[in-house]
Amino acid sequence: MKIEVFYADGCGSCGASRGDLKEAVLAALPGGAVWCELDIVKNIDYAVELGVLTVPAVAIDGALVFTRLPTAQQLVSELTARAEKLNGH
Amino acid sequence: MLTIGKLATLAGTTSNTLRYYEREGLIPPPAKGENGYRLYPQDAARRVHFIRQAQQCGFTLSEIRELQTLEQHASACCSDVRKLAIEKKLALEAKIKLMRAMSAELDRLINDCVHGAHSLDDCPILNALNHVPVDAEQ
Repeated sequence: MKIEVFYADGCGSCGASRGDLKEAVLAALPGGAVWCELDIVKNIDYAVELGVLTVPAVAIDGALVFTRLPTAQQLVSELTARAEKLNGH
Repeated sequence: MLTIGKLATLAGTTSNTLRYYEREGLIPPPAKGENGYRLYPQDAARRVHFIRQAQQCGFTLSEIRELQTLEQHASACCSDVRKLAIEKKLALEAKIKLMRAMSAELDRLINDCVHGAHSLDDCPILNALNHVPVDAEQ
């Protein structure tokens, strides 16, 4: 699964917990997640294509899922549910 | 001190607009002279200019109020303003995308109607607009 985090440089709500979030996701889904961080200003067309209107935001597999930075627990739950669905559970 | 007319001229706007900004809380209610006329401080022109510039960038009045609040907030920093500007740009780009899609749809309809001599009953544009998709009928 591909997780894309849209952030803005200097944005207080973007920076602090992004690293923790990445760590939690990669620990919960070792080898099963690709983590990308996208500067929204440099990727504005792609962000608009996904319907991003606020920053930070998180997309999973090319679809906007969180319109603000989720907690590690929220993100891991979402990814786990998706992985289970994909595996037919 | 400036009368409302002088301030309007300085800021390139009208007295009615200034009264509207005042009602919306974008400029503070001014002092009144003995004759009851509004009297604005000299720096009011800068404030009105700020509002008009922000409007030109697409900010709504409530967003401008938010910008003004940030400007007065000691703990706010430039990145807070930048975040608002980025979100405004995202909204504008989303609108542009939608309008491009609408324009492309109009292109399609215009190209379908190459023979302007059709009767109204055979007008491809009206027929296309009248067409109800099967999904919508259910």
